[in-house]
Amino acid sequence: MNPLAQASAAPAHGMADAAPDRAFAAAQAFLVSAKSFWTTEMFPALRGEYENARDPLATATPESVAATLADSTLYRYFAWAERHLQKMKYSGRYGLVAWQGAHRQSLEATLTAPVALDASLDLPRYYVSVDIHQHPGGVWRDTLAGFVYERGARSTTPLAAGRHADLHQRFAALVADTLEARSVLDLGCGFGKSTRPFCTVFPQARIEGIDLAAPCLKLAARMSADAGLGNARFRQADAARTACRPGEFDLVTSTMLLHELPPPAIRQVLEESARVLAPGGWMFHLDFLPAVQPRGDAFARFIHYGHARRNNEPFMQPLAQLDLPAQLRALGFEQIEVLPFAEADGVLAPDYPHWRFPWTVIRARKAVPSDERATP
Amino acid sequence: MTDDASAPGEPAEQVFFADPALDRAFGVVMALATELQVLRDRVAALERQLERAGQLDRQALDAEPSAEELAQSKQDREAFVRHLMSPLLGRQASRGGAS
Repeated sequence: MNPLAQASAAPAHGMADAAPDRAFAAAQAFLVSAKSFWTTEMFPALRGEYENARDPLATATPESVAATLADSTLYRYFAWAERHLQKMKYSGRYGLVAWQGAHRQSLEATLTAPVALDASLDLPRYYVSVDIHQHPGGVWRDTLAGFVYERGARSTTPLAAGRHADLHQRFAALVADTLEARSVLDLGCGFGKSTRPFCTVFPQARIEGIDLAAPCLKLAARMSADAGLGNARFRQADAARTACRPGEFDLVTSTMLLHELPPPAIRQVLEESARVLAPGGWMFHLDFLPAVQPRGDAFARFIHYGHARRNNEPFMQPLAQLDLPAQLRALGFEQIEVLPFAEADGVLAPDYPHWRFPWTVIRARKAVPSDERATP
Repeated sequence: MTDDASAPGEPAEQVFFADPALDRAFGVVMALATELQVLRDRVAALERQLERAGQLDRQALDAEPSAEELAQSKQDREAFVRHLMSPLLGRQASRGGAS
């Protein structure tokens, strides 16, 4: 067949409600490139501008950084771009929501893998009142929300676009350095991206992923089945009230969950984690804490708090200001460590110049009662 | 930071510039830039298809235009520039509108 005839048979672009796949992909790739420029050019330039303008004798705070940059044109464009590149990723003609919506029937038809949903689950007010990540409808309202989230997460870290899964594998490998888990509970598992690496590093373990979002859980079950991972199951539940048995797990994990929770809910999740862990069991959370980073100065905290506002993440700053070790000690955890986490090689170098999330591992072990400790 | 000009019930977008007009104008610029990249991508895909079908001479396409070709496109180019830049003159196109 003449390729030209084939091409002319394609639907006219620009006239339909949704953009053709090529146009969608080109627009999304453009946004990733723009975000990469923001990450590698605008961010270092802004840091340089701040360093030149700051009072070197004064103690810097996020508030003093804000005052220093109050009239900075570069900061305004930096902030604008962070907000609007994310908005364009999800919304508008070439946004993820419109594109996935155009494929609704075929996508929904793939969500057939079994998953334990709870129609009576009362979604918390904090969860339903904000569309996190600027994802219209949030990660829970639309049946396609899991697909939108999955596609969106591929470019969350623009320098690693397309291979964002690396950091989940690194996290699972780090956990596996500490223990050989037999039972794992992954809190706020989303579409299972955080859960699947644990299925791989602990192939003999029983692994359960829980989340509030039914659309994400359905996709998690499908992707787990597609990957041939038979040791994971997914269930709709609140991480603060898991309905698991006391001491049921020897590992509890979460990835990018804590910063989505208000402090009272964080406390409930930590209490619940302590309850469902067996004595001597481990808890690992991967989240964002700027202060523990090699470049965790006032500028980094100012940027992180601004990111929280611009990305519709109201609890990111409260998490960064919590004293988590004190909470964990009060709950009877020991061997508590809060450590910066390298999502890629070289990012923890003191002079690493580009914007990055302040990835942090929070790890703690549930104490073994003294009468249960093995005698030497 | 909010812009209170949004309709009731609709959340106001965050504002980053001293004048929210610039926030909105830059949104238009980025939308146009996205559209431009979509178009560039499509032209490149068209060229690849035509080349595979033996209907495109890439060397001729990429060559510097001849004086004759430049002359042929001059009228279109200048009309485009006039269209693009005449708003900078700040002139009314019709009579009688209060300035």
